[in-house]
Amino acid sequence: MARRYDTRTTTFSPEGRLYQVEYAMEAVGHAGTCMGILARDGIVLAAERRNINKLLDEPAFSEKIYIINDDLCVAVGGITADANVLIDEMRLSAQRYLLQYQEPMPVEQLVSSICDIKHAYTMFGGRRPFGVSMLYSGWDLNYGFQLYQSDPSGNFSGWKATCIGSNAAAANSMLDQEYTENMSIDEALSLTIKVLNKSMTMSKLSADKVEVAVFTRKEGHTYLSLLPQSKVEKLIKDLEEAELAKKEAEKKT
Amino acid sequence: MSASFYTKPANNGNAGVAMETSWDSNPGRQRTLQPITTGASVLAIKYNAGVIMVADTLGSYGSLAKFRSIPRVLRVNDATVAAASGDLADMQFLNTVVENHAIDEEIHEHGIAYSPASLHSWLTRVMYNRRSRINPLWNTYIVAGTEAGQPFLGYVNMLGVAFKEDCLATGFGSHLCLGLLREALDAAGGYAGLTEETATSALEACLRVLYYRDCRAYNQYQLANVPVAKPAQVSGPHFLQSDWSVAKLVKHYTE
Repeated sequence: MARRYDTRTTTFSPEGRLYQVEYAMEAVGHAGTCMGILARDGIVLAAERRNINKLLDEPAFSEKIYIINDDLCVAVGGITADANVLIDEMRLSAQRYLLQYQEPMPVEQLVSSICDIKHAYTMFGGRRPFGVSMLYSGWDLNYGFQLYQSDPSGNFSGWKATCIGSNAAAANSMLDQEYTENMSIDEALSLTIKVLNKSMTMSKLSADKVEVAVFTRKEGHTYLSLLPQSKVEKLIKDLEEAELAKKEAEKKT
Repeated sequence: MSASFYTKPANNGNAGVAMETSWDSNPGRQRTLQPITTGASVLAIKYNAGVIMVADTLGSYGSLAKFRSIPRVLRVNDATVAAASGDLADMQFLNTVVENHAIDEEIHEHGIAYSPASLHSWLTRVMYNRRSRINPLWNTYIVAGTEAGQPFLGYVNMLGVAFKEDCLATGFGSHLCLGLLREALDAAGGYAGLTEETATSALEACLRVLYYRDCRAYNQYQLANVPVAKPAQVSGPHFLQSDWSVAKLVKHYTE
C-alpha cells in the first residue's frame, strides 16, 4: 500500500511520512557502528572496522574517520560513496570560507551548510537522499569542542555522547546511563570501549575490529590521533579486568 | 543560506575563473567605466583605546556639490565600522550586501559576528574578483574596529589592493593628510600613546586642510569611534569651522 509513495523522494505518504528518507536511515542502520563522546578536554571517536581484508592495498588513514580541515573531522555511517561526495563538499566549503574571511569556519556553520545540502535532496529534484549519517568532531574559538550528529533527513543536533550505525540504539541507551559530565579523555576512552564491547555485532571486541581516535588540542593546534592497536588492546584488557574484579566483589557480598 | 544541489567542481581549463561575460548575451548590461556620484576622502587613525574614522557627507556630481547629506560611514556591528570613497552607487550596493550579511548572522543566533579582520578579508576578495572581471566597484574602503581587545584598521581599493596600518586615508586625504596623521602618531610614540582627544583633533585638523584645499571636500562630516571594550558609535553630522578671511587677499576675489 505504501509502495505507491515510496519511489518519489519528495512526496509525502498519506500518513505524513517521507519513505525514501526513512529507507535511507535504514541503510545507515546496517552500517558499522560509529560513536563519539565529548570529554572536557577533547572528543573520543570510535568506529567499527569491517574491512579487515588482508588483500586491501595501502590502507587509508582510517576506514570511517575523515579529516575535513585543521579543526574538524567526521566519522561516517552509511553508503561510503555518498559520504565521499559530502566530505569533498565540506572540505571545499571550509577552504572557501577560509579564503574569504581569513578565519576558520565555525564548526556549526559548516555542519549546518552540509545539512542544508542533504536536506535539499529530500525536498526537491526527485533524487534520492544521501544514505549517510555523520558524527562531526570539531573545535573552534567560540565554542570549543563540539560534537554534532546529522542524518539523511538533513537534521542535525549537538551531542555530549552519541552513536550511529548498527546497534546504535543499544549503544545510545548505555551511553545515556553511563555518561557523566566533564569526563577526562581517559574516562571517555574507557566508556567507549565499555559501550562498544556490549553493543558490537561481533561476538567479542578485539583491537583489530575497532578504530579509536582522540581529538584534542595542544599548544594552539588541534590534533586527531588514531590509537595504536596496542593501546586499544590495553583498554580492552583493562575493561575485562575491571569487569572481573566487579564480579568478584559481587560474589563476596 | 540557499540550499542547492551539490555539483562537482567544474573541470574547466581557466583555473576556475569565469571568462564568459554576461554582457555578451545581455547587451543592456555594462561595465563600470567611470564613477558618477562620488564621495571624497575617508580618514582614520588608531588611538590607545580604539580607532576613529571620519568622512564628509558630500556626494559630488563631477564638480557639482550635488548631495550634501550622504552618509558614507556604515556601522556593521558593535565592533566594526566601514566607510568608502569613490562611486556612491557602488558603495551603497556593497553596503547593502554587508548589512544583509550582518542580518544573516544575527538570525543564526550563533553570537559570532563579523570581525573587522574578516570583513576586511571578504571585501578584499570581492573587490579583487570584480577587478579581475574588468567590472570594478569603484571604491576605496576603510574598515575600522576592534578585535581581541586590539584596534583594527584596514584599507581595500578597487584593484583589490589591501593592507592594514595604524593610520589610513583615501583619495586626496592620502596626499594631504596622511603625513599629518603619521606625525601625530610619531609624536605620541605610536597609537598606544595617542589619546582619544588628540586623535579626534588630529582628524579634525586634517578635515579642515581638506576643506581648504580639496575642491570636492565639504565641511559637514560623520565620525565613527570604536572603543576597545564598548560598542561602536557613529555620530554626526558635525560641522567644521573654517576661516576664509584670507580669501580677500586673493587678487580679483570679490565678496
